[in-house]
Amino acid sequence: MSSDYEISDDENEYYEYDDDDEEMVDAEDGSASEIEVDGFGNDFKVGVRQERKIYEVDYSPLSQPEVERIMQADVDHISSIFGVEPPIAAILLRHMNWNKEKLIEKYMDNASAVAVAAGVELPPRELTPPPTKSTSSRGSTAGPLRTLRRLSADKGSSSKGKRVSPPAEEPFVCPICFDDSQTDFLSLLCDHKFCAGCWKEYITSKVRTEAECMITCMGEGCNIAAPDPFVEKALADDRETWSRYQELLVRQFVSCIPHLKFCPYPSCTYTVSCPAAATKSSLAQIVPIVTCGASGSHVFCFGCPIDADHRPVVCAVARMWLQKCEDDSETANWIKSNTKECSKCQSTIEKNGGCNHMTCKKCKYEFCWVCMGPWSEHGTSWYSCNRYDEKASIEARDAQTRSRASLERYLHYYNRWANHEQSAKLSMELYAKTEKKMEEMQITSELTWIQVQFMKKAVDVVHRCRMTLKWTYAMAYYLAPGNQKELFEDNQRDLERAVEELSELIEAPIDPETIMTLRQKVTDKTVYVQKRNEIMLEDTAKGYLEGRWQWNTTVEGFETE
Amino acid sequence: MSGICRARLAEERKQWRKDHPFGFYAKPTKAPDGSMNLLEWEVGIPGKAGTPWEGGVYKLMMIFPEDYPSKPPKCKFTPPLFHPNVYPSGTVCLSILDEEKSWKPAITIKQVLLGIQDLLNDPNINDPAQSDAYTMFKNDKVAYERRIRQQARENIPK
Repeated sequence: MSSDYEISDDENEYYEYDDDDEEMVDAEDGSASEIEVDGFGNDFKVGVRQERKIYEVDYSPLSQPEVERIMQADVDHISSIFGVEPPIAAILLRHMNWNKEKLIEKYMDNASAVAVAAGVELPPRELTPPPTKSTSSRGSTAGPLRTLRRLSADKGSSSKGKRVSPPAEEPFVCPICFDDSQTDFLSLLCDHKFCAGCWKEYITSKVRTEAECMITCMGEGCNIAAPDPFVEKALADDRETWSRYQELLVRQFVSCIPHLKFCPYPSCTYTVSCPAAATKSSLAQIVPIVTCGASGSHVFCFGCPIDADHRPVVCAVARMWLQKCEDDSETANWIKSNTKECSKCQSTIEKNGGCNHMTCKKCKYEFCWVCMGPWSEHGTSWYSCNRYDEKASIEARDAQTRSRASLERYLHYYNRWANHEQSAKLSMELYAKTEKKMEEMQITSELTWIQVQFMKKAVDVVHRCRMTLKWTYAMAYYLAPGNQKELFEDNQRDLERAVEELSELIEAPIDPETIMTLRQKVTDKTVYVQKRNEIMLEDTAKGYLEGRWQWNTTVEGFETE
Repeated sequence: MSGICRARLAEERKQWRKDHPFGFYAKPTKAPDGSMNLLEWEVGIPGKAGTPWEGGVYKLMMIFPEDYPSKPPKCKFTPPLFHPNVYPSGTVCLSILDEEKSWKPAITIKQVLLGIQDLLNDPNINDPAQSDAYTMFKNDKVAYERRIRQQARENIPK
């Protein structure tokens, strides 16, 4: 079985979905998309790397038409097995969240029940005594032929009202808008007729304000689904809504398939297929950073909602860290410099005036603000604390120190994390400066344009490495102490030092005399920094695969260890 | 949009005046200048006979959005009602009033009101909207019923 996902053979091991997702992509146009995918592959992978690094994942970007082709292949497959029209097959698949195996199983078991639940077949009428005789699988094949029936107003009689059919001479009025000038009526296979204008209004509202792509009949309690050709017809000239509808269909499909993810960048319509990261358990071993095909800057993580490269930290830890930063950082800084904790109940207390005789508002514990010891030991020595060595106050201060220490530990990592983020931001500004510098160099020296590219490259590398460094601090915060952590921090230190050195070099002023040596130095350093970065990323990636990293807290996906 | 909305409401008004279920009332509110505000209706729902709700007529505001009937009206008891599926604000929690659940443009005002009347004595315990009524309904049916009868007495139309 071949697939057009450019899934290398080794990836199939991770591919735990033994359903026919692969079969799904087994379309005749497979070869075509493979070529396209390859084209992208060379495009976004900077440099001439051909082999996949250990810290990279295999994935392929897909454009909306490509995903549509995959969907179509599924639809055609179901359509041919069940002998139903493709639009009906599409509704059945959407109803089953594109789980083809489950659909086939259930449909083979009881076609009618599935068809009724999906809204492609009328429910058996309760009044009919023998339910076995009612519409069975034949009904669903007949369905699509009826769905698009356009009823003209003069036909009048509604088929649902068996006993009371309105007199033929009285024109049919749309029960939604009661506009009797309407003559153009549409209905689904349930025969609930409404005017074309109301249908259009209703579908537009569903698609545009609710982002809903499963449209059902407007009749009360009616579950009959509108097939795509009906939606297109009802929307008439509103191509914008129609294309939005198609986009929603793609999104629904993508969200149902575990190895597909929609690019989170605004108004991007690309999808990425990454079978290696499709399972939760795989996220403890890899950091699936991907780039969508639309733009090289659309970098995001396949495994979590972070839309940035958070290597080398795995998703669960990265999320924990971001959550902690969001909750704590600003507040923590303030608390650290302005408050103390009650030595009895650990409530955080801000002293905003008054004397040193404190009474905790919560536990009513009375203590001295200066020594943190109990006030009772102070006797009558109000306002002056000369009891520094009292046992109780030493204990209180110890407890205080311990809780401050954990805060300080956090702030240590946070400050470095934030610092690299800030520096990375500044290095984007450096870009503009570098451009200027490069021009300068072309003028003041013999160097050609191609030869001054080393500067730009150096800035790029610094930026990338700062991103890595930034996340290493998040990782280090959660790593359990031990040899592994020490090795990790050694790598971190080496990378950090190299990055800082290179950073300094590229900020240095340019002197025509020394430009050749500068170039040499920068180029050498860039190569070295890149090397250190590789080592950092490779080692952590290997560590995940070997299960080498131990955390100082419970991390999702690592619980068993 | 507003084209359909007002035309439909005018027709609903016509149909209602022609025929409506016993004990109910429903009329568009009047603006200060005396003109009719079709987007806001004042309605009354009677409790069903043979239930603790009997005797009361519960006042409710129906607020129609501009994109009605694509979107459902908002139904709000004024004052808020003691009922497991009525939010503290008075808003009714009912699947046919939820555009993402069972709301359909073809549902008429009459059907909405009959739906709410059914809900009165047949609350949906899987979808509680206020804790007071919900907890009492779950834990002490006798006290709940007493409370409902009390509420019915308070809502006897003058």
